[in-house]
Parts: sequence; C-alpha cells; structure tokens
Amino acid sequence: MTGTTRRSLLQIAGLSVIATAAGCSEKPTSSGNAQNLGALGDVLPTQRDRTGTIKPDITGTRPVPDGYLRYPNPLTDAITTKPGTSGRAISAMTPVWGPAPPGTAQSAYLRAVNAELGTPVDFTVQDGGTYADKLNAVFGARDVPDLLCVPGWEIDKIPRFAEAAKVLFTDLTDHLHGDLVQPYRMIGSFPAAAWRNAVWNERLLAIPNPTDSPFPYALFTRKDLLDQRGIAVPGSLEQLLAAAKEVTDPARKVWAFSEIFPMVQMYHRVPGAKGGWRVRADGTPEFKYETAEYRQALEVMAKIYADGLVHPDLVASKGADQDQLFARDGAIVFAQAGMGFWQAAQAENPKSNLQPVPVFAADSGAPLVWGAGEPISYTFVKAGLPKDRVEELLRVVDWCSAPLGTQEAQLRDFGVAGKHHTAGPDGPVKTDLAFKEIANQYFFISGRNPAIGPFPNTPNYVRDVLTYSNETVKHLEKDPWEGLKLEMPARFAANRVPAEEKFTDVLRGRRPLSDVDGLVKEWRDNGGEEARALMARSL
Amino acid sequence: MRLRDRLRRDWQLLVMLVPGVVLLLVFSYVPILGNVIAFQDYNPYAGTNPLTAFLSSDWIGFGQFQLLFEDPAFWDALRNTLTITVFQLVFFFPLPIALAVMLHHLLSRRLRGFIQTVVYLPHFFSWVLVITFFVQMLGGAGLFAQTLRDAGLEPWNIMTNPDTFLILVTAEAVWKDVGWGTIVFLAALAAVDPHLYEAAAVDGAGRWRRLWHITLPGLRPVIVLLLILRLGDALSVGFEQFILQRDAVGRQAAEVLDTYVYYFSIATGNFGFGAAAGLFKAAIGLVLILAANRMAHALGERGIYSKS
Amino acid sequence: MRPVWEEPPTVPGRALKAVILTLLVASVLFPLWTVLVTSLSPPSAIASAGGFVVIPRGFDLSAYRTIFAGGAVTRALWISTLVTVIGTAVALTVTVLSAYGLSRPGSTGHRWLLAYFLIPFLIYPPLVPKYLVVTGLGLKDSIWALILPSAVSVFNLVVVRGFFQGIPPELLDSARIDGAGDFRILARIVLPLSSAVVAVIGLFYAVAYWNVWFDALLFIDRNDMYPIQRVLQSYLLAGQAPHTSGAAASLPPTEAIKMAVVVLTVAPIVAVYPFIQRHFIKGVLIGAVKG
Repeated sequence: MTGTTRRSLLQIAGLSVIATAAGCSEKPTSSGNAQNLGALGDVLPTQRDRTGTIKPDITGTRPVPDGYLRYPNPLTDAITTKPGTSGRAISAMTPVWGPAPPGTAQSAYLRAVNAELGTPVDFTVQDGGTYADKLNAVFGARDVPDLLCVPGWEIDKIPRFAEAAKVLFTDLTDHLHGDLVQPYRMIGSFPAAAWRNAVWNERLLAIPNPTDSPFPYALFTRKDLLDQRGIAVPGSLEQLLAAAKEVTDPARKVWAFSEIFPMVQMYHRVPGAKGGWRVRADGTPEFKYETAEYRQALEVMAKIYADGLVHPDLVASKGADQDQLFARDGAIVFAQAGMGFWQAAQAENPKSNLQPVPVFAADSGAPLVWGAGEPISYTFVKAGLPKDRVEELLRVVDWCSAPLGTQEAQLRDFGVAGKHHTAGPDGPVKTDLAFKEIANQYFFISGRNPAIGPFPNTPNYVRDVLTYSNETVKHLEKDPWEGLKLEMPARFAANRVPAEEKFTDVLRGRRPLSDVDGLVKEWRDNGGEEARALMARSL
Repeated sequence: MRLRDRLRRDWQLLVMLVPGVVLLLVFSYVPILGNVIAFQDYNPYAGTNPLTAFLSSDWIGFGQFQLLFEDPAFWDALRNTLTITVFQLVFFFPLPIALAVMLHHLLSRRLRGFIQTVVYLPHFFSWVLVITFFVQMLGGAGLFAQTLRDAGLEPWNIMTNPDTFLILVTAEAVWKDVGWGTIVFLAALAAVDPHLYEAAAVDGAGRWRRLWHITLPGLRPVIVLLLILRLGDALSVGFEQFILQRDAVGRQAAEVLDTYVYYFSIATGNFGFGAAAGLFKAAIGLVLILAANRMAHALGERGIYSKS
Repeated sequence: MRPVWEEPPTVPGRALKAVILTLLVASVLFPLWTVLVTSLSPPSAIASAGGFVVIPRGFDLSAYRTIFAGGAVTRALWISTLVTVIGTAVALTVTVLSAYGLSRPGSTGHRWLLAYFLIPFLIYPPLVPKYLVVTGLGLKDSIWALILPSAVSVFNLVVVRGFFQGIPPELLDSARIDGAGDFRILARIVLPLSSAVVAVIGLFYAVAYWNVWFDALLFIDRNDMYPIQRVLQSYLLAGQAPHTSGAAASLPPTEAIKMAVVVLTVAPIVAVYPFIQRHFIKGVLIGAVKG
C-alpha cells in the first residue's frame, strides 16, 4: 500500500453526536457519510477470465450474464487438490426459505460434498424470513461462525454494519487483492462490480455472491390468459391500461394488477439510482419526489387504484399471497415481480405462459429501467483466525464457487449420481432425496460467476429471458454515484418510511393529489435537504 | 414483632419464593440491565467484548427520550394506541365475561363442552390467517362483496376504510380471542359454591337477582385483577395485526406505538431509541396500575397489592 | 338436568341465547371447515375456487405427505412434547409456589418481594442481553433454553395469587392452629380448592410452550432440536426468498400446505383441551373439601 494518499475513504461527515440546545442532553444523530469505491482499485482482486470456459449458447450484453440452453458434457475437473487440509470442521451460518434440510449426520449430500472438501462444513441453517433478527443477536453478542452469509438486503437492517464488520470479520484485502487472488481461480473470475460491493471501511471484507440479474423487477403477464381473451401483450401505457380494464372482471374474480407502482414509475422515467436520485441539468441532485415524472406516475397509479384494477386482497392486507393469485389461480393478469420469480413460477405451472411485458415509456421517448446490480449475498470470515486457517476457508469458498460445466458444480448443485440425481438427456435429474437434502447450503457460502440456465423443465425460458434482458439493458439507468457506498443522514433515513407512506395515501385515494406540493416541502424540511447536500458532495 | 420471630413464622413462605426469585433474577433482571442503552448512543461494537460495549458507548442522558417526545408522529401513535385500548376495554373486555356466564349456565354439559372447544380455537390462528378470513368474507373479492354484486349493488369497502378501522380491528380481535378470554372466568365461576344459588332461589331470588348477587360478585375479583393487568399493558395493542393492514388504511389510522418504534428503530438503526420507548411504556403502565389499584381499593376490592 | 329450584327459561331468552351461540360457533366452524377442506384438496380444486375451498372436490393428502416426509415433523413433535411437559411442570411448580408465597400481605418482606415479581411485567429485556445470558449459561441447543426464560409469567402468577387470596381465610387459620406449616397448607387445602385455576394456568403455560417459536430461532441452531412450530412455520416461509436470483428463488407453498400447517397447529390442542376443560366445568364444592 502506498500509504496515506490511498486513504480514499471519502469521510464527508463522520458519525457524530451533536449537542442540542438543551445542554447536557444529546440526541444521537448522524449526518451520513459515503465511501468512495471507485478509487479503491488496489484493494480489489485482479479479475481474470477463467480459461477453458464452456461456450455460451446466447451471449448477454453485460451486465446481463450469458445463457446456456444445454447442460454441458463432458464436465471438467476445475480443482484437482482438496481445498481442506486441516480436517477441523468449519462452522457456517446460511439462510433457508422453507423446511430446514437435515444436518450432516442425516444428510448424504453434506457428507459427500464435505468429503470432497477434505474439511467438513458444519452448517447452521437459519430461517431466511427472520435472518435479520438472528444476525442482530449474534452480531450484538459477537458470536459469529467461521463463515457467515449475509444476504445483501439484510445489510441495511443491521445498524452500524461497517463498524460491526471491522470488529467481527477478517480483513481479506491482504489475502485477495491484486494478484493475490490468483490461487483462487473461481472467485477470481467474479465481475469487478461485485467485488466493489464487498468493500467496507475501504477494505475488502467479504466474498460477494454476484447476482444474475441487473434488474430489480419486471412486469409479468399471464400470456395464456391474454391469448384466451384475444388481447395482445401491451406495448404502451395506453394499451396496458386498456387491456387492464378489459381483463378486470370482479364477477369472475379476476383483476388486472398487483401493486405495480415501481413499474409505473419506470414507465415515467422516475429516477431510481440510490433509492431515487438523479442530477439536474445545473448539476445539483434531485430526488424522485421533486420530479414532474413522479407526479405523473402517482396520478396514473392513483387512477389504477381508483378504477379498482388492483386485486382487492392485495389492497386489504400485506398477508395476501400475490404469487398464488397470479401464477396459480390466474386471479391477477399483470403482476410485478423480481426476475427470479419467472423461472420458478413457470416451472410450477406448465399450463401457464409467463412473459414479461417489454418496457416502454409513458410518452414516446426511450424507457428507463432501474438497476439492481448488488450481489445476492456476501460471505464473511470470522475475525481472529490464523492466516493458514483463513487460507483454508478461502480455498473451500473457492471450491464451492465452481461454475457450470465442472464436476464440482454438479456435485454441489445435484449431489451424488445415483443418489441425488440420475443422468437424463438434458442433464442430471434430481431425485426426491435431492429436494430434501439440497437447499443452497454451499451456494450461500460462495458465489458464482453469473450464468443463466440451463433449465430443461422450462425449455423456452433461457431464450426468453435473454431476449428480454438484452433489450431491456439498453435502457438501464446510469447511476451518477456508481461505486459509492452511502450512509444517508439519520433524519433522512428516519423519514424515509413516513414520507413514502404519505405518498401511498395519495395512491390509495386517502389524500388528494393536490397535497403533493405540501408533502414534497415536508420531505425537504425533514432531512431531504441534508440528504441532497450529501449527494452533491459525493458527486 | 422482631425479625427473628417473623422469620420463624414466615420461613416456609420465603423458601417457596426462592425458585421464582432466582429465575427472574437470571432471565429477567440481568438482561433488563441492558436497557441502559436508552441513555446511550449504543454502539454494540465499542469496547473489547459485548459486555464492555454497554460501558464504553457514549452516554447521552435523556437524548433518546427527547427525540421521542419531540416527534409529532410519536404522539399520533400514542393517541391511536390509547383510543384502541379504551375502545376495546369498553367493547371487547366485557364480552368474554358475558360469554362465560352464558356458557356456565348452559344445562347440557356436552353442548357446553363442544361450544367451548370451538370458540377458543381462533386464538391459535396467526394474524395473517385471521385477516385472510376477514378479507375472504368482507374484502372486495370476498363473499359479501360478491353477494352484493350479484344483487346488482355496489360493494362498499370495509377492509380499507380508515374511518371504521377501529371497529374492524376490534371485530378481528374479538373473533380471535373472545373464546380464549372466557377460560379464566369459567375457572372463577367453577369456584362459586353451587349451594349459594340454591339457597338464593329458595329465598325467592330470580334469575337476574342471582346473576347480580352471586355470579358477578364471584367474578368480581378476577375481573378487577385482569382489568388492572390490562391497564398495565395499555400501550400494547398488538403489532402484526397493524403491520399487515397498514397499507390498506394508511399510517394515520394504523400506526400504534409498537409499529412506530419498530419503524423508527429499524430505519435509524438506533437500538437505544427502542429501549427508551420501552421504558416510557413501562412508566405509563406503572402509573396506570397504581391508579387502577387505588381505584379498586376505593371500591372495596383487593386489587393486586393491599394497602397494608 | 335443571335443578328443581331453577325456574324454566323464558322463550325469548332462550332464543336469544341460541342465536348468539349459533352465530359464534358458525363463525368459527365455517372458516375451520374451509381450512380443513382446502388442506385436503388437489391444486386444481384450489385454483378453481380461487383460494379457499368450501365444497370438497377431490381428495388429496399430498400436503400432509410433503410435511411429514423426512421425519423432521415427527422429531419436532417429540421435542415439543418434551418441552411442553417438562416446561409446564416446572413453570406450574414455580408459579404456584411463588403465588402462595406472595399471597399473605404482611408477611416478611411482602411488599418488596411483590414489587420484585411485578416489575418484569412492565420492563422487557432487549434482545442482545437476553441472548448473552442464555448462551452464557451454555443453554444453546438445549430444551432448557426454551423452558427456563419463560418459566415465570407474571400475568399467570398474579391470577393464581388472586384465586389463592379468594380462599376463605378461616380454612387456612384452622389448619394453622392444628400446627400445619405453609407447605402442608398449600398441598392439603389450597391446591385441592384451586384445581380450576391451576388447570387454566397449566393450559396457558402448555400452549405457550407448544407454540414457542421466536426463542427457538434465537437459541436452537441444531435442526434436530427444533420444536414443532419452528418446523411448521418454515413451510409457510418457503418461497419468501426475495426474487433476486434464479438460483435462490422458489414459489411460496401451495394453499393446501399452508392450510395443512394450520390444521396441524390446531389439532393437538383440540385433542388435549377436553381433558383440561373438565377441571373448570365441574365446579369445586368447597363444602365437600371441608368435610
């Protein structure tokens, strides 16, 4: 390291405690800070292409990953030496959504993979829905396992994450930066953008698990239901709203939409970067609430609610099951969902035809699509371990990160041949035992150089998703704060939900649209201006 | 009496309290000390271990409380919470008593057992399920709305009307817990000596007089006790029920103290704030318990603690 | 049978009572019926009903098969039975002893001890210190982590104490004059007179232990030690992974599985309740005990 000149932490305003006029009483406040990731070139590993990679069937336009239609054959042996050398069990904690898979003693799958690793990984699988509660407890008690998975969306729920990371986890910079990553060939192939996200306090603290979709949501439709009614997939906002009116039929228990406000905002080119910021022509930052585009989107969505086009179960309770209503019952025709929903839903209901509605702009201009490039999860290594143990853990993580087309990946994803899968013409077919024992355990302590497919049970999916993604990626919003990690001022953060909920009142018709000016002013006074100042300084 | 004599008299009572005292000490009092973070800008990662973190965090006096009291949203949430508590004390609290009396006087023991077993089951349904039932019956796609539509009428919105939300949440709570609430009262009724009824009837007391002079006095100590305990918990009216229906009726109607603390604490990552709100709730609960107990004494009831 | 001294009920009174009770019972039985039928319905019937099935069409046990496959539920049932039986026994013992110990105003230290027991009703411990205490005592992954922290419910304690204080003091005084100590009085006089409230509080504790879930999230890491609600809830959470990636995504459980979870949550309680109920239907004849 070259010393202080590399001190690139852009400490715009540190966490500070500001005394109030009351005197001895102080209120805990933070005016926020930002860490500049762009200038962190030399804490990051040198990215190198993995040699001997299998050729993709459809190339994605980056950041869209490549698509694979067929399961590769023959497989390569990517890692020839056993990564585990000590034989001392590695404790790990990962999330699971659904029934917990059996522990090592009862799981042929875990035993088989652990035997390949040479050192067993002893998993504690925690309920994904309450993972943040568990994390807050083990963080506060400083009781973390050797390898800890933290999903990206949980990080915001953990107060003072950067400070926690400094105390609890091993700094991986000196193990992985630059060419030091070379022995770890699998993780060394991860996209640089994913690594950039794994930096806290200007140090590399985790191994990212890169995402395979750059978009937060898409608007999906049940094309089979549209076909039945002789309606074409809409290509404009007018067509969408017309189709919505046509399909909505309360007597038959069918409604057009789920909650689709984020999509409606994209159609109106409302900014989405860092939660909704963009830069005005004069160079000052502007938040979405302040834009004319947001107001138009609000008006359109309020009209959708007023016209009764959203399924009333979803309007009445957060506990309603959108996926059930849309994918299984067909009681919703257009639903907003994450990209990962598509394949799972299509596979479960082969009679349906799920298709994304191609993005369009409300006017005749070019559409805008928000980005969501953050990694799915991060793997942290516990602090205070000896150097050779850390290296062993990194080798294990590297082994678990082997990509499609390797024997390692097949064992990790499909278990043991004859036990967990049988060889089919389209690749391995999972047995019942596999569904019981394999639950993404090793996926959540590693990463994948992203790829899409193959999915033999949904034969059109890979082609469809790449067609949609390669088209949509052209309209991906440019983030003016790309590479920056921002900690927003406390007042702004505290007011985020209340402000959002006041606009929800407008959407749902509990407040008139004419209130919007007042709400924007309120937002500016309640931390909005402070946040703007931070955004301006970070440009 | 000298302490020695008193101890000789009471030692068995004191021995009986030992297990309770120890359990509360270990599992309540020691962790309760963690509430010191209400007076701190608590940083779990200060100091060398989790315990010293409590000592090395910055002390900020009553800053968290000031933050709480200066926030108009806090007062809104407090007002909503108290409105719901009072409304439910009037329209919910008496219902299990009435139902218990009704069940107690059913002649057929089998019918009574059956009804009791049925009505207390909704207690075991999650809030998600309870609200789903209400949506299925009263929501825009529910049975009621469909019936109206079939009859050519315009369905009106019951599940999404902020003005009637108070009634809706109370109806949901009544359906879920009215049967469960009867259990303690049934136990109290079981302790009433049946001979009293017979004697009163022989003296010519009618149905209502017997209810007034035997049944209710038999229940009164329990009613008073539960009322006092409920008041001690007056600032808790539920959490999940309100989170689930928050978007449906808006924050204005559905924000209660617990949801407020949840959102505020999470959004700012400020654990101390949650602790401060918890201490505030405890203080109000304490005041209400003391006041209710004093009132009970004025009415000649024993309450939780006696004057002596 | 109506006792001879009781007058026959009036017609409107009877009608009103019948209407109220019928409506109440129907309002529970109807949803319960749809839950049961839905849990046993094939997916096609659920899709065509748009959620809850009212009129059975087809019979499909696959939801229950899914849940019971693999033995996790069976094992969890054992763990929960253990937690409930031991937990209720411990909690009842401690609660009854404490309630009696606090039932005599004017006894040594009474006011201070009462305050000591009441304060935890008002103030709750934060998450992290609670976790530190339980793990610090080495209780992680043991059933005691689920039992001990909730073995004293102040609410239950106050209710039992209220019932104890309602026992006519003459009964206790006469025993005391006969030379009986407090342990003896509690066992011989107070408890036999209080079977109703002890049954009720026992039920409260048993239900709380049977439903233990959040403490299991915090303190139980080994999945062969999970209690039943922890396992059943996990079926409801299937598919709630944020849809960020094809690799992590799955759909939520079918409506049939969700409803089967409800049935399995309620069923044991339906089975056990009548046995407990006896204690507070019967009524205790004070005179009979006295004699």
